[in-house]
Amino acid sequence: MKTGIFICHCGHNIKHTVDVKRLSEFFGKLPNVVVSQDYPFVCSEPGQDLISESIEKYGLDRVIVASCTPSLHGEMFKDVLRKKDLNPFLLRRVSIREHCSWVGDDIEENTEKAKRLILSGLYGVAHQVPLEEKMVEVNKTALVIGGGVSGLSAALFLSKMGMQVYLVEKEPQLGGVVREIRNVWPARTSGAKITGDMEKELRSRQNVEILTSSELTGFEGFFGNYEATLDTPAGERKIVIGGAVAAIGFAPFDPAIKPELQYGKDPRIVTTLDLERAGELALPENPRVAILHCIGSRDEQIGRPYCSRICCINALRVGEAIRERYADSYVESFYMDMRAHPRGAEEFFEDTQEKGVLFTRGNIGEIVPAPTGVLLKGEDTLLGETFEREFDLVVLSIGMSYPVDSQKLATLLKISLDKDRFFLEAHIKLRPFDTAVKGIFIAGSCSGPKDMEESINHGRASALKLYGLLNLGYAFVDPFISFVDPKRCSGCRMCEQACFSKAIKYDEEKKVVHVEEAACQGCGLCNATCPSSAISLRGYYDAILDDEISAFLEAI
Amino acid sequence: MEDRTAKNPEIVGFACTYCTFKASEMAGSLRMKYPEGVKVIQVPCSSRVDPAFVIKAIFEGADGVFVAGCHPGDCHFIKGNYYTRRKIAALKELFDAFGMKDRLRLFWVSASEARRFVEKVTEFYNDIKEKKNAG
Amino acid sequence: MQGKKIKNGALESALNTFLAEKEYLVMGFEKDASNVYHRVFKDSLDNYALMSPVFATNGALYLRRLFAKGAQIILMLRPCEIRSYVELVKLTQIEPENIIAVSVDCFGTVSSKTEGDIPAGEALKGLTKDAEKARWACANCRERRGVVGDAGIRIDANGDYWALPYTDKGQAFLSLLEGETSEAPAQMAIGPAEPRPAFQIDMKEFTKDFSKCIMCMNCRDMCPVCYCVDCVFNGDEYLPKGDALFNKVFRAGSTGMPRGKELFHLIRMYHVSQTCVGCGACEEACPQGIPLTKYFKGVSERLQGMFSYMSGRSKDEIIPYLTFIEEELKDAED
Repeated sequence: MKTGIFICHCGHNIKHTVDVKRLSEFFGKLPNVVVSQDYPFVCSEPGQDLISESIEKYGLDRVIVASCTPSLHGEMFKDVLRKKDLNPFLLRRVSIREHCSWVGDDIEENTEKAKRLILSGLYGVAHQVPLEEKMVEVNKTALVIGGGVSGLSAALFLSKMGMQVYLVEKEPQLGGVVREIRNVWPARTSGAKITGDMEKELRSRQNVEILTSSELTGFEGFFGNYEATLDTPAGERKIVIGGAVAAIGFAPFDPAIKPELQYGKDPRIVTTLDLERAGELALPENPRVAILHCIGSRDEQIGRPYCSRICCINALRVGEAIRERYADSYVESFYMDMRAHPRGAEEFFEDTQEKGVLFTRGNIGEIVPAPTGVLLKGEDTLLGETFEREFDLVVLSIGMSYPVDSQKLATLLKISLDKDRFFLEAHIKLRPFDTAVKGIFIAGSCSGPKDMEESINHGRASALKLYGLLNLGYAFVDPFISFVDPKRCSGCRMCEQACFSKAIKYDEEKKVVHVEEAACQGCGLCNATCPSSAISLRGYYDAILDDEISAFLEAI
Repeated sequence: MEDRTAKNPEIVGFACTYCTFKASEMAGSLRMKYPEGVKVIQVPCSSRVDPAFVIKAIFEGADGVFVAGCHPGDCHFIKGNYYTRRKIAALKELFDAFGMKDRLRLFWVSASEARRFVEKVTEFYNDIKEKKNAG
Repeated sequence: MQGKKIKNGALESALNTFLAEKEYLVMGFEKDASNVYHRVFKDSLDNYALMSPVFATNGALYLRRLFAKGAQIILMLRPCEIRSYVELVKLTQIEPENIIAVSVDCFGTVSSKTEGDIPAGEALKGLTKDAEKARWACANCRERRGVVGDAGIRIDANGDYWALPYTDKGQAFLSLLEGETSEAPAQMAIGPAEPRPAFQIDMKEFTKDFSKCIMCMNCRDMCPVCYCVDCVFNGDEYLPKGDALFNKVFRAGSTGMPRGKELFHLIRMYHVSQTCVGCGACEEACPQGIPLTKYFKGVSERLQGMFSYMSGRSKDEIIPYLTFIEEELKDAED
């Protein structure tokens, strides 16, 4: 066996807390290791060339890249092997960054840990055998779930790139929440105009089918050949698609969750979204208006610890609008911290102040509806004083909550939710559009609060990522499925009984089982159920895992 | 090396690709700290963990072993972790019979629960360390 | 329960009637002057013994990979043997279609290694109280009553024998016997076993007990429910030999031999945890006198108890590791 080990410095990310030199020297002396090198960035082109050249020079039959976590750069390193006609499953990625250099500070301890981690990779990969990669054709067809701004922009992008696109929207109309916004900042135009223009363009395109009042009810298959079941007004429909973008937006926070806000009990207490929907307001000539920030945001007690990013701007828009409409109005905005983060927003904040909106940093402790007005009792946290003031209108600047269907859709698409029940990205920084499932991307505020501009960009970015995958026209199917050694199979049918994918079949004649490959999902339950491991999960054989354990523990 | 292992426990963990391993990746990305003695083996699903691996790890010198997967009901493979739960609960019962129940733990850690991952493994590590240094 | 009181000699004549058919067999016990053995009878019974007070092997061992549907077979075995049979049926190691499994009340057994007279009469009836003589497995048996399988042979307080049917096949067995059915007494000579405290042992004692192990794996080979055609312990992963052993030494340093004794027994304990019937065949087979039953029976009873499962009680009970209930084991997580 000729193993090549390439240890990445990741600039300073690994090298800073792991003695990479010591590692490469240690592994260079082990049997079966013919080359062991550390390198500043193994993922860089020269880094990849180093692997390629070593495969050629030393005739490597196993390659270990000790670097970042395996879910990053996975296909890229596999391609390096493929190009050298080496089976890509003879590559072993060892995470010495996310699982070592970044979680410990002590260079001695980290180096020892990294040594163990790489050793387990070395032991494990020795048992690995070339696995057959099945190449399947990919349908150049995409499903976009959700017709808000992010879904619309994703669909438009994919359509323009020549993909057949299905856009599914639960509501009868496209446009999502943005459609209801009267005056979008900073565009200074109506949301309906923005979404209407996008919809018009989308409807003019030949390769787009828009299905409103429709929902996704089933999702099967694998990347390139997913089959989606849709519940449409015309009945159930099945479509085959290569991949999907989930862009189901958010649910406006419902202030009724916090009874102390008195929302729904007094018509003078409204949300920012209610104002968008309302007709003429029945306010006196000189109305007193309070605007409360962070309603349903930054609130640990109700499970919304995050900042919703849009509510400060919404509060500014409301303040400005009221001041412009009622010259003699008194408008006071109660905020925790002003987070006017988008470009131009800080200036917008200053403008609004100049237009006469008062800003008070404070917590509202109690809201008391009274005949003459709504009484707000609270504390000014800058002055350290309590106050009581009466208003004719209290506007709750509500934040974003997880979309109502997030759990349902996550289950269908087999993707994960984050702790706040928004969709979870594959990597918080490096793969913000991907999910753990190949070909399924997330866009817009369903993956956490975003403003309109961010949602549109996010939609386009996810669409671009999906396009990149689909446009290849082919994909490799993971070969990690189970297989049976019929000579060792006792035919006890335990695996068959346990397999919830119904992928194992019993042969009455031969008294052994076999695996229906198309049905196997690759969980490995059968392998762990079989007492003699006559059924094994490819890529995760007992010998691999056994030796990985040994590598962590045996004396070296 | 000698006195390092004498005082510091070795914890071997099995983490499923779709939930707990993801959480551990995120923990790293967020620069959360946990002891070096905790080392994780990636498995596709917690149901791949043969209790024999756990027993083997203990007899090869692990002070503690944890098996971690998606929360029940959230398994990427739909039902794998329900089987894990039965098997590991049974294995814990077996360990209990031999008075070493505290050396095996079962965690449910979803992909988003980086902090929970760190808390769980650190707590396990500290408990084991305390017992090890006491005895 | 309705059953048939068995008249003197009626059982033997019924079995002989059965055996008169071509390809009909009875598996039970044969007695000679000095011992009692398992035997498969063809054509007619010869020196037939309903019970065997000597335990050498678990008879279900001989039934593994019995798939033929031609022969009709009646098993007249101990409850522990019928329970193993039921587990092996669940594991598709036995095709039960043409088998009638009859469990016979058991007063316990002595080890086949015991010198001296085979207990009989009153000595046999009180055997399980005699810790010196009785096998540990029998003294601590959780089911000595013939209440498992298709039918049972029970002994009432007066010493009369009863045949009780538990399934349709059991009814067929009863129809072989002469006489009318009548209500059997509720109280029989052998009652249900007393619950035993949960098995608990110190790791040090375990290590000491198993230090004698020579890894001959006789315990595994004689275990009725260790049915794998190729055991994982045959490979090099757990008990490396030759190159694999020396590779391991080069990798990890010097090692004692045989390696992996504790690992072997604990993993096997887990493997049979739901199917072990506690018959003690392992201990009987051990040349080193390791008290295996205490461990295997103790662990399996605890682990089966978690799922309210009892090996061999019913063919309809699913082996717990092969199924689950969503709303269970809420406290399994740490």
